[in-house]
Amino acid sequence: MRPCGVFDKSYTQDMAIIRTWQHWVILLSALILLYLFPLFGSYYLISFMNLLAITVIVVLGLQIVSGYCGQISFGQAAFMAVGAYTSSVLTVKFGFPFWIALPVSGVMAGAIGIIGGAPSLRIKGFYLAMATIAIHFVVIWLILHLDITGSFKGLYPPSPSLGSFQFDTDERMYYIIMTVMIIMTYCARNLVRTKVGRAFVAIRDNDLAGQVMGVSLYYYKLLAFFVSCFYAGIAGSLWAHLITVVNSEQFTLLHALEYVGMLIIGGMGSIPGVFFGVLFIRILNEVVMFTSPVLAKAFPWLGVSPAAALGLTAFGLAVAVFLIFEPRGLAHRWEIFKASYRLYPFAY
Amino acid sequence: MKKTSVIFLSLLCFGLMGLSSSSFAKEVAYLSLADYTGPIAGLNVPADMGLEDYISEVNAKGGVDGIKIKFIGIDTRYDVARAVSAYKRYSRTPRLLMVNSISTGIGKALARLIERDKRAQLVPGDGEFQAHLGRSFIWGPAYQDAFAAMMDWVMDDWKAKGKSGAPVVGYVSWDNPYGREPLRGGKEYAESLGIKILPPEFFPPGTLKHDVYLNRLAEGGAHYIWAGGVDPTPTNIIRDAYALGLTKSIQFLNGYWGPTALGIGVHAEALEGTAIVSFFLRGEEAKNNPVVTELWKKHRGSFDQFNEVYGMGMSWGMTYVAGLKSALEKTSFEKLEADDMYKAYQRITGLKRAGLQGPCAYSPTSRRGSLEVKIYRVKGGKIVPETDWRKAPDAVSLHKF
Repeated sequence: MRPCGVFDKSYTQDMAIIRTWQHWVILLSALILLYLFPLFGSYYLISFMNLLAITVIVVLGLQIVSGYCGQISFGQAAFMAVGAYTSSVLTVKFGFPFWIALPVSGVMAGAIGIIGGAPSLRIKGFYLAMATIAIHFVVIWLILHLDITGSFKGLYPPSPSLGSFQFDTDERMYYIIMTVMIIMTYCARNLVRTKVGRAFVAIRDNDLAGQVMGVSLYYYKLLAFFVSCFYAGIAGSLWAHLITVVNSEQFTLLHALEYVGMLIIGGMGSIPGVFFGVLFIRILNEVVMFTSPVLAKAFPWLGVSPAAALGLTAFGLAVAVFLIFEPRGLAHRWEIFKASYRLYPFAY
Repeated sequence: MKKTSVIFLSLLCFGLMGLSSSSFAKEVAYLSLADYTGPIAGLNVPADMGLEDYISEVNAKGGVDGIKIKFIGIDTRYDVARAVSAYKRYSRTPRLLMVNSISTGIGKALARLIERDKRAQLVPGDGEFQAHLGRSFIWGPAYQDAFAAMMDWVMDDWKAKGKSGAPVVGYVSWDNPYGREPLRGGKEYAESLGIKILPPEFFPPGTLKHDVYLNRLAEGGAHYIWAGGVDPTPTNIIRDAYALGLTKSIQFLNGYWGPTALGIGVHAEALEGTAIVSFFLRGEEAKNNPVVTELWKKHRGSFDQFNEVYGMGMSWGMTYVAGLKSALEKTSFEKLEADDMYKAYQRITGLKRAGLQGPCAYSPTSRRGSLEVKIYRVKGGKIVPETDWRKAPDAVSLHKF
């Protein structure tokens, strides 16, 4: 984002994500603030940030496969489950440290994602959405019926450790989660600017035209699923070691729907859109959670249960409103703001 | 300027008034992490209505020794992440003495945090919480205990029908931790009675038709079938069995989340004769309980929408009040902490709750809310008692957890 009058003078400048020294200052200040946050943030806010960051990683993956590559997926919660269980099995049953289990979880989820994404070679749109829902149920069924996953009893993965230091509180896990989120965001932001990213966009916009231009649909669609599920797997592993208990009930189709809702609200095909969408829905959830007891107290005739049930209504309304009035999501508003900033103080 | 100043001062006054009323009022909190809009909302909403009404009644009468109870109800949508987030949000609430984690998954996810915070939580009926004593108290007998009690009744019924040998029992339920729990110890108990349990049938929650599972159990020679899940699922299973003509030859059995007024109002004919094991009053008995009747009429009016789970919610409230009184006998309000409530819950053994459920069985060695159950039958579109209170067998100890 450049202010008015600042122009790129070289290819390097043109390709830079951070374009001015002011941007560097803002970015570094934000990072410092982020890492210092546990020193002044409340326990609740820290745990909220952890949940937010894990969700960002999951939705970043979904953005790559759906927002950039145009392959609708409702399997993200199941792939997150694959990551959570892989990490739990590796640490609980085989004694692997978290630091090895974390990337392996991503790879395992990615590998399963390739199988899950295979139908995308033959079907698309609504039919692909249905196929990914089927994958969701198959994964959950397998988790429930395999002994290694602890079956219906679930598993209790340990907190990560580094030497004798245990990351056994939300405050300590915060540093791991934030670091992973930053790395994953950096990778996603750059991936979509590469040849691979452009191939994804070509498939999304017109797969036939892309194929004619030499884009291998077979390779890139499966790659998109692999990357997307890798993200979900990493998020699943972080979730498992944060909460230290995993069972199949933590990964429902409702979660997958919520992730798609976040994508719609944030904006398809935009990395900042992921942050906007996740923030919007998570804050909406928290606001409803916080206000429902207050509402119930202020309007006793309403009763606590209907007041609390506002959560789902609010989510549904938000998605519907965005689909009708701003189908390009909050990211589009951000783009409008940036365009205005670039011209300021001129009107056009 | 003058107008702005007046508005500012007014807001300040209101703020200070609010602050003073909240800061200086003697208050303890109860957090309910309930599913108000998800798959078990049909159970959670009326239960929390009962609790909420009971608490508002206690508060209206001046509270417990002048201490008011603050009820915080949060909709988790049966979602562990939301529940954990909500717990963390409210865990620093002053004097949050008890958390009701309504779902086994949520209860297990929160157990570590509850231990760390030296608090106590209520959880539905997973036997593991009894097998490994911690800070999680189950509402009544464990699921497997209730299943075992039903097996006792099956043997009585079998003999009363003049049959010889042992009956064959089928089992169909949700394919999730809750759906499988009754068999962990319950199966061992049934087999110790000589009952043959057919290979259980499990299906994903949300399944609309159950014919294939029912037919398989019928072909396996089942004399009795346990229909699991949370209402309306058991009602729907029996509805399908009725359509298949199986209810004529097979006796259907249900756990304590079996058909309520909700299901019976819709499928009375199909549910006729169904047996339900319950640790809290059901159907007409619940509706005729004077304490329940009085509170419901006062807060909810007509009995058209009455659900017997309302009484169970009241029972939670009674237990909480008794626990609070016991805690206050040992410490002052100023020094009262969540850990005191945890200890108090272990001292209220034998507490009677207006007959809404059996005497409280919480103790240093028991996390069961009560040991007694009743068997009910659906007759003429109503749930009526088949037996009096009877002690549920300890099936938890029969299983290696």
